[in-house]
Amino acid sequence: MRRILVTGAATWTGSRLIQMLEQRDDVLVMAVDELRPSLEFASSFYKVSLDRPEFARFLLDVGPETVVHLQTVDRVAELGRGRAHEGAVVGAQALFGAIGRSPDVRHVIVKSDATVYGSGPRNPSIFAEGTLPQGRRSRYSRDLTEMEGFLRDVAESHSHVDYTILRFASVLGPTVGNPISRFVRLRVVPTQLGFDPRLQFIYEDDAVAALQHTVLNPVSGTFNIASQGQMYLSRVLRLGGRIHQPLPRRGFDAALRALARLDLYVPDHLARLLRYGRVLDTAQMRQRLGFEPVRSCREAVLASYGRLPDRVDT
Amino acid sequence: MTKAELVTALRAQATTRPRPSPTDEAGAESGFVGEALDANEYGTAPPPRIDIATLFGPDGPGAQRRERLYQRLAAFVDTSRRCPWRSAEGHPCGLPTARDGERCVLHGGLAITDLAVPALGRLGFDTWPTLMRQSWLASYEIDPIGLDPLFSEVAWHLLNYLYFDYFRVEVEGIEHLPMEGPALIVSNHGGAALPYDGMLLSIAAMNEAPLPRRIRVAATEVFNQLPWLSHWYRKAGAVYASRADARHVLDSGHILGVFPEGERGFMKPVWNAYEVQRFGRGGFVTLAEQSQAPIVPVAIIGSEEVHPAVSVSKRLARLVRLVLPDQRVEGVAVFLNPLPLPVKWTIRFLPPVEPTGEVELPDPLWLLERTETIRNTIQDALNEMLARRTTLW
Repeated sequence: MRRILVTGAATWTGSRLIQMLEQRDDVLVMAVDELRPSLEFASSFYKVSLDRPEFARFLLDVGPETVVHLQTVDRVAELGRGRAHEGAVVGAQALFGAIGRSPDVRHVIVKSDATVYGSGPRNPSIFAEGTLPQGRRSRYSRDLTEMEGFLRDVAESHSHVDYTILRFASVLGPTVGNPISRFVRLRVVPTQLGFDPRLQFIYEDDAVAALQHTVLNPVSGTFNIASQGQMYLSRVLRLGGRIHQPLPRRGFDAALRALARLDLYVPDHLARLLRYGRVLDTAQMRQRLGFEPVRSCREAVLASYGRLPDRVDT
Repeated sequence: MTKAELVTALRAQATTRPRPSPTDEAGAESGFVGEALDANEYGTAPPPRIDIATLFGPDGPGAQRRERLYQRLAAFVDTSRRCPWRSAEGHPCGLPTARDGERCVLHGGLAITDLAVPALGRLGFDTWPTLMRQSWLASYEIDPIGLDPLFSEVAWHLLNYLYFDYFRVEVEGIEHLPMEGPALIVSNHGGAALPYDGMLLSIAAMNEAPLPRRIRVAATEVFNQLPWLSHWYRKAGAVYASRADARHVLDSGHILGVFPEGERGFMKPVWNAYEVQRFGRGGFVTLAEQSQAPIVPVAIIGSEEVHPAVSVSKRLARLVRLVLPDQRVEGVAVFLNPLPLPVKWTIRFLPPVEPTGEVELPDPLWLLERTETIRNTIQDALNEMLARRTTLW
């Protein structure tokens, strides 16, 4: 009976992953998060912040073999900037420290984000796993880099721990509630005047499938996870039949502030992504990790708009 | 050796497009209109008479060259068969298939990222409604760098008016460009306002070579920061000048075009015209060695006179550095004409320099020496073309 600890169970990906895993007979799933989950699952849920000593005691008591760290999403909207930064960095430090001290943990899987590469005018068009970002990076991007650094340090000093870092492209889908999904589904979408970024997505079901694949067949290393293909933002909006409103910089910032009042918080790293774009190189995902997303980028966009006809074969 | 003998010897060299000899009745074949050219006492032909009335019209030499190009392009497309592709929503494609493929050029019938073949087999304003429909359907894929085949086709169509009619570009040595596999094109850079040489180089192979291969020209990060240009240059087929992008283009087997002089070449005053500046650190040789791609040096005549830079202003450079702090410009060229002058361009492809084929990278001194050799090759070709040139137009 494999014990799997999943942090970030309140995120959409976390809840769905737990739902998928608990259908299997050979795993026992324990869920942890500091917020209440919105989706239902049957596994036991422990509400605690990662940087508290209670969590470290909990992890050492439970002794999981696999730890899946999904509490890496940007929670500025729910927790505020200070708490989100603390939770991401100090929480990760505490988690990986506890993992290092636990004799049972064999594999750590971390859901990182392609934001770690940043998005800017001096960045290369395609990011492979070893490419270094250039230029100024947002706070979230630097937090992710710090978190990955903590994990590497712990894994280096404790040889019994292997780790997999999955850097996800923007998760897109009809049910996931992250800012980019809700942004492209607005009726009138503000865009930046004169800029049309290349975007790459991963469909929500494929994101969960990637995590499940890695949990069940762990492979060490860092991998970019994204769907095949890439699209310009103008094309994404055209596929959805959305009206796009190009605005100069001031107008775009004002539009984002107006959207924040409507409960759609677009953080600065997402605003930069919507200006400069980013495409990931997924050769390692296919060759070494052995995972192939079912939906291409175009199908992911169509499905999130509800315009993909049902397939005969699933 | 007298000047007459030198000129005869130069003319005897094989070029793709031989200059008209004084007694050549088929002079109209090379595209010059006017009466037959008579030799003067120097043994050289006076500059050809250009008939302005027909130069830009449908009977002009540019239009004839364009017609020949369209006939060659039409051979790549088979209009009797239609593409069977259907979108996920069920819309049919309706474009003609590629000659040797099952589908149209947009949906995989042809390597559209390498070969530029118009979707309908011809470039023309009457194709625009069909292209707009395909673009509206978003039916085709873009490549990771951002090439949009339909956008680049429209840009090619419009640039051809500059290429054939306004600048009347002549291309020599196109047989030196490989028709398959990667290649790195290295060229001198000029101009002060717009990178015309980049735009014309990128369509030179599409217009002249047996296979219409794309030359993906590398642009600086300034393009990523400017509105509208930031996505136009990618959609038209250019590439951002980063190491990772350049490796991606060459490893995919495409042709990459670089201008190693950079800003120093772009902002030259007109009295330094065609003096090839230092080629940076010679990174392009390292790139070619790592990707095992042959280096094809290219000499371009015409870029410096389009907007002759009468001075180089350091104050304007400071202003540019204020607005775009990352740019390392030392001087901004000041030119007087807002419209480009209709200079006649010549693009000459020189014999390729093959990579060494060794696994280990050569030492830095070897790389610098090879950089200098290529720079001197381009400089010699420029000098020879300048000596042969009798008129700017």
